[in-house]
Amino acid sequence: MNMKTKNIIQAYRQAPWRMQLQWIGIFLLILMSIAVIAGVYLSLSGKAAITGRRIQSLEYQVSALELQINDLASQLAYASSARVMSERAAALNMVQRDPAQAIYLEVPGYSPESFSLAPAPTVDNIPSPSILPEFTASLWDWLADTLSNLPGTAQGSQEAQP
Amino acid sequence: MNNMSWSRYILILVVFVLVAGGVGVRMVSIQNIPAAQTILESSKKLVGVTQTIYPERGSIYDAQGRLLAGNETVYEVGLDLRSIAQPETIASVVSSVLGLDYSTTLVYAKTEAIDDEKLYIVLDSFVDKEKIAQLELIEEDYKNRTIGRNETRPSLEGLIWTPYNKRSYPEGDMGANMLGFYSFLDRVDGRGYYGVEESYNDLLAGTPKQVYTPFDPQKITSGDDIPPGASLVLTFDREIQAMVEQQLAEAIEWSGAESGTILVYNPEDGSIIAMATTPRMDPNYYWTQGEVFTGNTPFNRPVSETYEPGSVFKVLTMASALDAGAVKPETVFTDTGSIMVGGTTITNWNYGAWGDQDMTGCMQHSLNVCLSWIAMQLGADRFYTYLKNFGFDRNTGIDLGGESHWPLKLPGDNQWYEVDLATNSFGQGISVTPIQMAMAIGAVANEGRMMAPHIVKAIVIDGHQYEINPVIVGNPIKAETAETLTRMLVTSLEEESSIALVEGYTVAGKTGTAEIPTPFGYTSSVTNTSFVGWGPAEDPKFLVYVWLEKPTISIWGSEVAAPVFSKVVQNLVVLMDIPPDQIRLQASAEDK
Repeated sequence: MNMKTKNIIQAYRQAPWRMQLQWIGIFLLILMSIAVIAGVYLSLSGKAAITGRRIQSLEYQVSALELQINDLASQLAYASSARVMSERAAALNMVQRDPAQAIYLEVPGYSPESFSLAPAPTVDNIPSPSILPEFTASLWDWLADTLSNLPGTAQGSQEAQP
Repeated sequence: MNNMSWSRYILILVVFVLVAGGVGVRMVSIQNIPAAQTILESSKKLVGVTQTIYPERGSIYDAQGRLLAGNETVYEVGLDLRSIAQPETIASVVSSVLGLDYSTTLVYAKTEAIDDEKLYIVLDSFVDKEKIAQLELIEEDYKNRTIGRNETRPSLEGLIWTPYNKRSYPEGDMGANMLGFYSFLDRVDGRGYYGVEESYNDLLAGTPKQVYTPFDPQKITSGDDIPPGASLVLTFDREIQAMVEQQLAEAIEWSGAESGTILVYNPEDGSIIAMATTPRMDPNYYWTQGEVFTGNTPFNRPVSETYEPGSVFKVLTMASALDAGAVKPETVFTDTGSIMVGGTTITNWNYGAWGDQDMTGCMQHSLNVCLSWIAMQLGADRFYTYLKNFGFDRNTGIDLGGESHWPLKLPGDNQWYEVDLATNSFGQGISVTPIQMAMAIGAVANEGRMMAPHIVKAIVIDGHQYEINPVIVGNPIKAETAETLTRMLVTSLEEESSIALVEGYTVAGKTGTAEIPTPFGYTSSVTNTSFVGWGPAEDPKFLVYVWLEKPTISIWGSEVAAPVFSKVVQNLVVLMDIPPDQIRLQASAEDK
C-alpha cells in the first residue's frame, strides 16, 4: 500500500460522518429489503385471500346451480308426468286409440335404442411406453439405418423420381 | 477468572435450568389436564369450521329415462341472532308470509345471541319457493323504499333462508309400491323404506363427508367434490306401468275385488316390466302410510303377501311331472270325480266326473282329481324337490325391500300330511307370493331357465352407467318340457275359447281359483282369482300374472282374472312394440 492510499484511508476513518453515513446506508438497505419483501408478501397474501374468497364464492355458486338443476329436473318431470300428460291430452280432446286398431309397419334397419343415462365405463387408453430406437437397435441396425438415410441414397434422396 | 465468579455463573445456570424445567413440566401438565381437549376444540373453532356434508340423494329413472324420484329445492328459514335489527318487522313479515305465530316469532327474534350456544334459531323448514319469492320481494321493496327524514327503513336483516334438497316423486303414487319412499322430513337420519329406496339406500345416499372450511381466506382451497349418491335406472316402463295400474283399477271396480295385483315380468331376463297393486300411497306424503296401509296390509303385495294361489299352481305340478317322466302329454287319466288321498276325498271344482282326459284336458278343465293323481305318480320326494328347485322354499331375492315367503311344508315336517301332496298339486295348502309364481312359471316360458327377478337395470356411479346382467337362478326343468307344456297350455286356452285369448297373438296360460283359509276352514263363497299367461308363445317377451282378491262379481278366475289378462296384453303388445303373430312370423321368414 503506497502512501497516497494510506492517506485516503486515514482521512476517511477520521471523518465520523462518513462512518455514520455508511451505517445509515446499510440500515436503509436492510430496511428497504424488508419493505420490499413485506410488500411482495402483502401483495401475494392479498391475492391469495381474494382467490380464496373467489373459490368459496364459486363453490357456493356450484352448490346453488346443482340445487337449481335438480329442482328444474323435478319440475320438468312433474310437468311431463303420466297424469299431467293424460290430462293435457284429454283437454286437447284426444282419445285413446283402441289397441286392436294399431297398424304395424316394418321399418327396415330400425332398432330402438335403449336408454342410457351415462356412458359405460371403459378402460382408459393408456399410451404404451415408446422406446426410442437408440435403446433397442443393434449397432448394425443403426449403421444400416444411417446409411439408408444418407443424401443420395434411394430412401434419403430428395430428388423427385421420374 | 476466580472461583467466586465461577460459582455465580453456575448459580445462574442452575436457576435458568430450573425455570426452564418448570416451564416444561407445566406445559406437559396443561396439555394433559381434562380441560386441555376443550381448549383445543375451542381454539379450532376460532380458525375454521368443520361440517358434515351429505351428498345429494341419487335419482331414480324408469327404463326410458323418465324421472321417478328426484330432488327439489325447499328452504329453511331461520334467524341469525347476531344481526337482527328489527325483531318486530321480522315477526310481522314471517307471520304473514309463512303463517307462523307473531308472538312466538317475536320472542325468538328478541332472543340474545350467546356465543357458541345460541346464534341461530330455525323458524320453519321445507318452505316452498313461492313463499321465499314473496320474502325476497318484500326485502327488495324495503331496500328501494323512499324513506322520510324521521322514518326508519324497515329491514329483514337477520332473517335468512337456506336452500336444500327435498326428495320428490313426480309421478305421485304411480309405481310407488316399487319405489318405496325416503323419510325426507328427518334431515339427518332420513333413509329409504320399502322398494328400491330401501334396498339401494346406501348407494342412493352416497357417502357423507367431513369438510373443514378455514376462516382465513388465504387457507381456502378448492374443496374436494362430494359425489352425489348413485342413480338407478329401473327396468319398468312408466307408460306400461300407468296402463297396468289403470287396468287394475278398472278390474277392481268391475269385479268388486278387495284388492288386486298385476305383475308384468320378462321371462327372458327376469326384469320387472310393471308391477301394479293396491293400495298405494303417494310417497311425497309418506307420513300417510298408517292411514293407507291399515291392519296387516303390506306395502307391496306382489313381493310381501303370500296367498294360496289355486289352479295356476297346476302349471308347476304338470311341469314337474312331465320333466320327471311321470306322465306324458298323451297320458290318459280317467276322472271319476274324486280321489282319496291320506284319508281325505279330493273332488273337482264342479264336483263332476270328466271321464278320460289326456294331460292337456286335465289342464284345460283344471281337474283337481287329475292333478292329485299326477302328484302321486310323481311321488312326494320328487314333487317337493321340484318345488324347491322352482324356489318356493326361499325368497326370490328381488331387489325390492320387504320381500317375504311362506315356509314350504315338506314330508317329515310336523305340519305336513299325506293329503298335502294332493292339495299342493292344485295350489291349495301352499302359500306363495306373486313374484315367486312369476319367477317359477317364467322358467316354463323361458326354455326351462329360471331368471332372478330384478327391478334395477343399471346403476350410474361417478358418471358411468353400469348395466346389471341377468342372472340364471336355476334350470328346474328341461327346455323340451317347457316347450311341451307351453304348447299344451296354448291348446287348452284355445280349445276352451278362453276369454283370456288375445286376437292375433298366441298366448299360453292358466286360470286359478283358490278357496281362502279361515280359522274355521276353507270358504268357497269368497276366493282368490288368478291368471298367469305368457306370450308370444313361441318366443315369450312377457309373462302377466293377475291376482284379484275376493271378487264379488264371480268367484272364478276364468271369469274374473282371465279377461283382465286379455285386456292388459292387448295394450301391452302395443306399448312393447310386439306385432301380431302373422306380421311377426312373416317378417321373421323374410329375414331368413
